[in-house]
Amino acid sequence: MKSMVKKTLIGMGVSAALMGASVAQAEIKIALAGPVSGPVAQYGDMQFIGAEMAIEQINKKGGVNGEKLVGVKYDDACDPKQAVAVANKIVNDGIKFVVGHLCSSSTQPASDIYEDEGIVMVTAASTNPDITLQGYQLIFRTIGLDSLQGPVAGRFIAENVKPKRMAVIHDKQQYGEGIATAVKSTVEDAGVDVVMFEGITAGDKDFSALVAKLKRNNVDFVYYGGYHPELGLILRQSAELGLDVKFMGPEGVGNKDISAIAGQASEGLMVTLPPSFELDPKNKGLVKAFEKKGQDPSGPFVMPAYAAVQVMADSMKATGSTDAEEVAEHMHKASFNTPIGDVKFDEKGDLTSFNFVVYNWHADGTKSPAK
Amino acid sequence: MSESIFYFLQQIANGLTIGSTYALIAIGYTMVYGIIGMINFAHGEVYMISTYVAFIALAGLSMMGIDNPFLLIAMALAVSILVASAYGFSIERVAYKPLRSSKRLIALISAIGMSIFLQNYIRLAQGSRDIAMPSMIQGGFLFGDPDGSHIMISYMQVIIMVTTVLCMIGLTLFISRSRMGRACRACAQDIGMTNLLGINSNNVIAVTFVIGAALAAVAGMLLGLYYGVVNPYIGFIAGLKAFTAAVLGGIGSIPGAMLGGLILGISESLTAGYLSAEYKDVVAFSLLVLILLFMPQGILGKPEVEKI
Repeated sequence: MKSMVKKTLIGMGVSAALMGASVAQAEIKIALAGPVSGPVAQYGDMQFIGAEMAIEQINKKGGVNGEKLVGVKYDDACDPKQAVAVANKIVNDGIKFVVGHLCSSSTQPASDIYEDEGIVMVTAASTNPDITLQGYQLIFRTIGLDSLQGPVAGRFIAENVKPKRMAVIHDKQQYGEGIATAVKSTVEDAGVDVVMFEGITAGDKDFSALVAKLKRNNVDFVYYGGYHPELGLILRQSAELGLDVKFMGPEGVGNKDISAIAGQASEGLMVTLPPSFELDPKNKGLVKAFEKKGQDPSGPFVMPAYAAVQVMADSMKATGSTDAEEVAEHMHKASFNTPIGDVKFDEKGDLTSFNFVVYNWHADGTKSPAK
Repeated sequence: MSESIFYFLQQIANGLTIGSTYALIAIGYTMVYGIIGMINFAHGEVYMISTYVAFIALAGLSMMGIDNPFLLIAMALAVSILVASAYGFSIERVAYKPLRSSKRLIALISAIGMSIFLQNYIRLAQGSRDIAMPSMIQGGFLFGDPDGSHIMISYMQVIIMVTTVLCMIGLTLFISRSRMGRACRACAQDIGMTNLLGINSNNVIAVTFVIGAALAAVAGMLLGLYYGVVNPYIGFIAGLKAFTAAVLGGIGSIPGAMLGGLILGISESLTAGYLSAEYKDVVAFSLLVLILLFMPQGILGKPEVEKI
């Protein structure tokens, strides 16, 4: 008898808690998943400030269907294991919309969970083509693919740089190796001789042996697929050991930290980046809003993250619903006017068009379009 | 001389540089093992912390207006050694001394806990991003034809090798000639007997930890200047490599740690040079497995009767 009373009390408590949850749903939560900590946290910041700005501006205009958007940050530290934990946490927290993750190797395992659990995910930064190849309905991205970025870099190398003996180095991770492979096949099709194709270990600090090998192979141009901590050290040690060649990398190396690590050696590095949306005249007001908050709108993932929030919010408004599947269905069909231009998704959830641009990086952390 | 010999020598020079720093860190493992028979897994973190201290000291001192690079480095090195020694001393007092009479496994677990604590404490205090510093010493020696085959050894590489040799000579003299060194050797042979003879073994053990930490600080300073970056995770892999070096040379043996470090550094750099950079760590750790299987006492270690 006593235990019956106990059970009833617990039951009442649980239903009260559930009621509490449904009452508090006067807001729509959007999970912002990406690295808050870890060696690539600065990319996470780009994504967070973009998404938070979108949430703020949408709320200022009255929110979505009368409800306010709320961004909730989750830290995956760009670690696939932690990304899975974060994804499960998001499921448990009952959130139906995710902006993230950042690193392709995190997005891949997390997206499986979102698709299974009926959560809409839009990544503003993961560029590995495999992510949208699973036939998922709820997974989108507002950034181009490595398979686009690689050919852009490859064609630029073949047409403008015209190296005689080129090396392609990568960090053996999903993002770096994927893009390096794409560059290699593009330049080889154009007749460029790739004399070295080699992986390094992410997190390694000593590249003197690699630099000596590049020198020995008389390499005159190096493409690196990976992130800035390793490329920064390769550039620095190349300068110290007298290897004087041009380097090029994807947008994962294009941030101010590479200039801090490599110093003068980062001058003249070539980087493929999404176009500078902040220079687009129609984004003037938005850029001002960022500057007012002391934030830098020029990071490659800021505007894509803004667009990620916006397409979800617009679809919620258009369907008048916060049901993940209805929202995703609308996203597949409609076209959206965002700071990264007119956005339309194909059946895989990728953008139908996205351009990467080649920039010259400078030692002071700025960039200018390469000719 | 043909081009391939130049290339070989270049890779040897690269390997000696990195091997020297492994050796410096390995001393800390081997001396502690030699005396109290435990592996101080928090040692790699002392190296990491000392690099942070060196960076902070360099930044602070240059802000105070000291612009002579050698004076700057010497002063930062002194600060770094001092702080690292304090860490080495306190780690021993907090994490190992209370457990000295318990089983070895318990002290080992305490060491791993200490390592996790230190890594996360630095991550919280300093952030987990790479902190970078511009190179202070640039340029190097070039042997051979600048346009053709040549060897390039940067001044920083030379400084690393020379400093390591000086530290090793100093340590060898200290161990073989000084009173404290003699006490260290006595403790390594039989700690109970040493106590009976009126030597305070607690002091000897503390000195061992301090020496290990000070040498790790030298390595931290040198590698910090050489690579120019530091993050809270560098201690883990550096500690593993140094531990491998110590086992390779024979754990407990100081000349063994030096030899092991150099062998490890050279084999890594030759692997990266002739095979592929991605197999560098594979070779390093395969070496550890092979040594443990076929030569558990290491190259210069004494075969030991298991005391457990």
